[in-house]
Formats: sequence, structure tokens, C-alpha cells
Amino acid sequence: MSSLSSAVRDLQRELENKTNDLSKLQKDIAKNHQVRKKYTVQLGENELVLKELDLLNEDANVYKLIGPVLVKQDLAEANSNVRKRIEYITAELKRLDATVQDLEEKQNSKKDAILKLQQRIQSLQTSKAKA
Amino acid sequence: MEETRRGTVTSLASLFPVGEAQKAANRVQYAIAEKRAELDRLLGFIDDNNNLINLVHKLPEELSHDIMVPFGKAAFFPGRLIHTNEFLVLLGEGYYAERTSKQTTEILKRRGKGLDSQLDSLEAMIKDLQAEAMFFGQTIAEAAEGLVEIREDYIEDSHKGETKSGPLKQDAPDLEKAKPDDEYARMLSRMDELEKEELAAESGGDNGKNEQTTEDVDDISYQRPVDNEPRNSEDFHKGAPPVDQANNKSMATKSVEKHCHPDVADQLNFASLDLQSNVREGKNAAKKVKFVDHIEKPLVHHEEKQVKAATASKSEVQHQPSQPSFDSHKAFTGSIVEHTENIKTSNGQSSTSSQVSGSQPSKPVSRFKMQRR
Repeated sequence: MSSLSSAVRDLQRELENKTNDLSKLQKDIAKNHQVRKKYTVQLGENELVLKELDLLNEDANVYKLIGPVLVKQDLAEANSNVRKRIEYITAELKRLDATVQDLEEKQNSKKDAILKLQQRIQSLQTSKAKA
Repeated sequence: MEETRRGTVTSLASLFPVGEAQKAANRVQYAIAEKRAELDRLLGFIDDNNNLINLVHKLPEELSHDIMVPFGKAAFFPGRLIHTNEFLVLLGEGYYAERTSKQTTEILKRRGKGLDSQLDSLEAMIKDLQAEAMFFGQTIAEAAEGLVEIREDYIEDSHKGETKSGPLKQDAPDLEKAKPDDEYARMLSRMDELEKEELAAESGGDNGKNEQTTEDVDDISYQRPVDNEPRNSEDFHKGAPPVDQANNKSMATKSVEKHCHPDVADQLNFASLDLQSNVREGKNAAKKVKFVDHIEKPLVHHEEKQVKAATASKSEVQHQPSQPSFDSHKAFTGSIVEHTENIKTSNGQSSTSSQVSGSQPSKPVSRFKMQRR
């Protein structure tokens, strides 16, 4: 009898740990989604800039705002900078996608484990009640 | 049997509890509200953009403008705008470009287009959500009223055979699985009974009918299918009728054959016609289950098929259980499923053709074609 109840206690502790892990995972996923959203917005903005830069004449003056000052930039330089930035952002987005997928897999397996634990606790409790 | 055949009745409330539906509806409403807010924001942007375009357009009209320059939060001092055709336009990401008024307007217009497309997609989304919300609202109302969902599998046994398949199939799949042999035996006995009854009944009716047939050969073959359509559904409910008809037909065949002799004068000419019409009809009947009036003797072939089919039915019975399940997925429109039927009909037909007459086409003709004739 006492061994049974201690087993149940152990299981419950385990369950608690797992649920903590799960909620952590969920937080990570949510964070990831937010970062992802930010990057997508930036990607859209950069693409817009690139489009406008492409439409500019060769001799147009382009400035970049760095801190409080506007620094004059070469159009070609600005163009290549923006391209690089877009590349970086797309790579970052891919990476984020992979991590999100990974996290979601982990989350699912954790959920399964938790479900199993709950079932075990329940069956133990019912057998205890019978005894 | 008949009862088991009729589908299931589920109250809508048990499928979609009112509370749950209400929750879902609330969620959708919330989503709509969110999208609306976004839409308002977007509309604000578009408005700003348009104002800006107007301003940029007007500024270069003068060489300079007298304005009040904001200084800090609350102070202004008088100043002058010069270089009214030079704009420093923020392209995004900290990049600025020096542009003239005209060029600036172009940039702004391109931005406006982007905003417009966003607006369109948002509106489409809101429309979708509203449709969803309407659906939930209706469901709630219906569930609250205690509406009931009645589901009845569409069983197309009718086509195959009036014969055995009718009643058998109609029993819900579970029933069939449980005791197919039993059912089958019952069916057979029932068919026997019916056959007897019909024999008695038909001897009277045949003569009149035969004459009619000859006259209306075309009409009949053409009309039958149409007439039968409504009946089809009825047949399903009754279950038994198909069997009767099959029997009737078999009897009819016999009687027809007899007839030929007495009315030789009238009928000799038509005999061939008759035969053909019979053939056609037989097919129609077989495929469609249209058990027209029992007295259709034309269906001679049919009967024979059916009887044979009955013997063959065992094998068919076995695969029948699976059919109802896919039947339910098919549209409830009565007659279009041809694959299964065709197979069966062809079986029946081959036997028929050999027996009845060489002239009949032995391959299965599409039901649609037959109807057209």
C-alpha cells in the first residue's frame, strides 16, 4: 500500500517536471514565432528598398541613417548592402523554420509522454482505490 | 429489415453542443474584430499616403513657403521652406534618397499600391471569417432548436439487381456481416413467395400489356427510366419491392413467351420489336431498379437474370458490405454510379442474352445510352 502511494507520488513528481519542460518548450516556440514575424517584416521592407533603389538613377544621392547622422552612400554600395541584408534575413528565416520544427517535434513527444504518465497515475490510483 | 435500412438519426445538439458552438463563434468574432482593427490601421495609412502625395505635389508650385516651424513640443517660430523641389525620401531600413517632387510622388504611389493589395487581402479574409461566423451562428440556432440530423446511406443495389442485392444491401452493413447467410435464405424464400403471387396476378394482366408494348415500344423504353426515377427512392425505403418486381418480371417473361402464340397475327410483326424493347427494358430495369408496374412483361430477360443472379448472389453478398460505406460518400442523386452496376449487369446480361434471344446485345450498354433510346 505504501509502496503504491509512493510510486504514485514519484509519478506525479515526474509529471510535474515534464509539464514544466513542456511549458518551457511552448514559450520557446512562441518566442521563435515572434522573431520569425519580425524577420519577415524586415524582409518585406528590404525588398521594397531594393526595388526603389533599382529604380533610382545612377547619379541619385543616397544616404544611410546611422545613429543621428545621415551618411552619404554610393548607390551601388547601398544596393549591394541591401542585397546582402536580404540574403542574411532569408538564411535566418530558414534557420528559424528548422528550429521551430524541431521544437514542435519535441513538444509533441513531451505531450505524449505526459499523456502516458497521466494514464499510469490514473490506473495506479484506481488500483489503489480497489485495494 | 426495413428499419435497419433507414439511416441514423442524430440530434444536432449532440454533434455540436451549443456551448462549444458558442465558443467557436466567439473565437471567430474575436478574429474578425482583430482583422477589422488591422483594416482600420491600413485605411489610416492609405489616407496618410494620399495626403502626402497631394502635399508633395503642391509644394514645388511655389519657390518658397512661409511656415511655422515646430520647435520642441509646444513652440513654433516662423520660417521659410525653400528648395521646394528637393525631397529626402526614406526608403526603409535607414536608407534615404534625394528625389524631386515628381519622383517622390511615384515612390509614394507605388507604396499606395502595396497598401491597396494588403487591403484587398484583408477584406477577403474578413469575408471568409464572416461566412464562418454565419455558419456557427446558424449551427447554434439549429442546435438550440433541437434540429436533428438524419443520415441515410444511399444504396444503389437497386441497379444491380432487383434480385437479391436489393434487400440484402439495404440492411445496414453491420447486419449483413453478422448474418449474411440468414438474410440470403430469407430473401430467397421471400422471392419464391412473391413469384407465386405474381404468377397468379400476371396471367390476367399480360395480354393488355403486350399490346401496349408493341405499340409504344419506343415510348416505353424511353419513358420507363424517367418514371422510375421517383420510384427508386421509394424502393430503397421499402426494401422488399425490388424483389417483388424481379419476380414479376420473371413471370412476365414466361407469360410473354406464351402470348406470342395466341396473338400471332397481332404480334408476329411486333415480336421482334417487342423483343428488342424487352431487351432494352430489361437492361434499364436491371440497372435502375426501376420496377415499373409489376406487369411489365417486357422485362422478361430480367427475371431470368435475376433468378440466376440469385444463385450467384452469394458471392456478391460478400462484397456488398463494403459498398454501403462508399455509397454514403456519393452524391444522393440517384443514378450515376455505374461501375459496380455495370459489372453486375454484365453478368446478368450474359446469361440473359444467351437465353432470351441471340439478337440482344450482350455487352452492357451504359445506362445513359439506354435511356436515350
